[in-house]
Amino acid sequence: MKNIYLVPLILTIFSLAVIAIALQLDTSPEMIVGDSMQARSFPIFLMILKLILIGILSFQFYKNNPKPIALEKYHTWGSMFLFLLFYLLTVYTDMFIGIFVVIFLMSILWGERRIWVAFLTATITPGLIFLLFDYVLKIRFPRGILMNLYYG
Amino acid sequence: MFEQAISAMASVVVDPYLLGLIFATTILGVIIGVLPGLGATTGAALLLPFTLTMDPVHAIAVLATIYVSATFAGSITAILINTPGTSAAAATTFDGYPLAQKGEAGRALGIAVISSTVGGIFSVLILCFAAPLLARVAYEFRSPEYFALTVFGLSMLASISAGGAVKNLIGGIFGVWLSTIGAERVTGIERFMFGNYELYEGLHFVPIFIGLFAISELLVQSKTVNKIVNTVSMKAVKLPTLEDYKKIWKTILRSCGIGTFIGVLPAEGATVASMIGYSEARRWSKNKKEFGKGSIEGIAGAEAANNAATGGAMVPTMVLGIPGSGTTAIILVGLMVHGLRPGVYLFTEQVEKVYQIFGSMFVANVMFMLMGLYAAKLFARVSLVPTQILWPIVFALSVIGAYAFQGQLLDVWLALIFGVIGFFARRHGFSVAPIAVGLILGEMVETNLQHSLKMFDGAWWMILTQPLALMFLVFAFLGLCGPMIFSWITKQKD
Repeated sequence: MKNIYLVPLILTIFSLAVIAIALQLDTSPEMIVGDSMQARSFPIFLMILKLILIGILSFQFYKNNPKPIALEKYHTWGSMFLFLLFYLLTVYTDMFIGIFVVIFLMSILWGERRIWVAFLTATITPGLIFLLFDYVLKIRFPRGILMNLYYG
Repeated sequence: MFEQAISAMASVVVDPYLLGLIFATTILGVIIGVLPGLGATTGAALLLPFTLTMDPVHAIAVLATIYVSATFAGSITAILINTPGTSAAAATTFDGYPLAQKGEAGRALGIAVISSTVGGIFSVLILCFAAPLLARVAYEFRSPEYFALTVFGLSMLASISAGGAVKNLIGGIFGVWLSTIGAERVTGIERFMFGNYELYEGLHFVPIFIGLFAISELLVQSKTVNKIVNTVSMKAVKLPTLEDYKKIWKTILRSCGIGTFIGVLPAEGATVASMIGYSEARRWSKNKKEFGKGSIEGIAGAEAANNAATGGAMVPTMVLGIPGSGTTAIILVGLMVHGLRPGVYLFTEQVEKVYQIFGSMFVANVMFMLMGLYAAKLFARVSLVPTQILWPIVFALSVIGAYAFQGQLLDVWLALIFGVIGFFARRHGFSVAPIAVGLILGEMVETNLQHSLKMFDGAWWMILTQPLALMFLVFAFLGLCGPMIFSWITKQKD
């Protein structure tokens, strides 16, 4: 199978999965729903519509034979990995530690050669954002190592 | 009503806080528009959380100002470095950059500034007159009409932004499906929550939009790292001469009409408007050969149209709750978050606020004109901010913005997940704007379908007996099948 059909295939699997899940949803008594729809009907209708469109898309691919899409640079995959790292750092340490580490590493990953510039960006940006949101917008941030120190 | 409207609009000029806010936001909007990749939609998505604690008028004024100023500012980099700051300025590169290369960058920018301002102000005036009239018509709408209207809006996704019609429709349906996550509104049955009760009220727009527009753009930009841009030198921005005005005034007026009309159509936006404005300028021009080589008519045609679309796109957003573009989808969310329910209610109960918002857009158009004329050179330098510094900052703003909306970490994870989904969608030629518009319209379409079915005792075909509903459904059909039918007829003739 050609790579170009991977997208229609994934979309089809997704649509079928949604239909399968929707079919498991509870149904409401007739007296509540009346002449209207069950909660499952609308998502199923949407997915059927989507499957028809996926069929048309596959036919277009078959007719036009589009070029396969080139693989991403390591910057893109690296950035996605940093999102995962941000998740882990936020959950297990502190959101601001996560932001600091991600900004610093992302700057380096994207080609910043001056370590001190990356460090300053990673320090000043979350600092200013924290001041703005905490003092001006009065937002309370999730507790973590740093926030526990701050909030007490 | 007229006096109330005038006094509300005039109150913007005598409110120093609001004026200051518009001034600061115009600067920010121009900077956002100048930075390749950021654009009005991403900028508005990033700024939305900052407006949460503001007064409703101030908040919407900020978002609307970002919209108009960033739409204009995309032309600065389009002319100076051949990189449109926003997709709406793509058509400006066709003639703006060649003219700049001839050493007339100042003249090109002057034409762009004046055309954008005229287009923007024209569309705000149309907005002031058309929106209340349309609101009166919308007063007659019931569920079948609203259902048909949202179907029409969704059908228009076929032609929104980049990507083919089929891909856009698939994106739109995905967006509508996302709106079904959470408890169903009539029966309370939980759908696609997988035991996560933070999703009981459904997905919130703000984190999803931050993900789709800002985070996905970050990943797209990661592919352009180390890209070298060629800049052209510019001494100063020159005002167009009287001779230039004589050449372009008809083009500007034509593009004002085109842009406003395209903007009013649900789900159409400034990008489509600028492309049509440009091609119409070329079609009507006596100097077609100059196009692509630095024609001032080409710049005026594209720029007047894309800024005229901003006011036009606000009409369906504020009157019908149907966004005219990705950015107005965010403005619509802003309206909802601040308790300003779009629709007839807004024009009967909150007239003053509505006209203050219109007044703010008017002032923003004047302010970006002054900035464009006197500081374009300075703003152009902003585009040279290294991507390795800019986008990590955007990341920080995105995650904090997503968190600040409700104070839930789930929103941050949703923003990141939808950022990755948005990136892969864009990578495969699916635009993210249809997903956003589908998410907004999803609730409207399902709820109004349910109400219509109840109204007609389950006989769905009775919707077709309502004249206005039928009209919208016919429009939807024509919008979807019209191009195919037209090309088939053309083939038959050939």
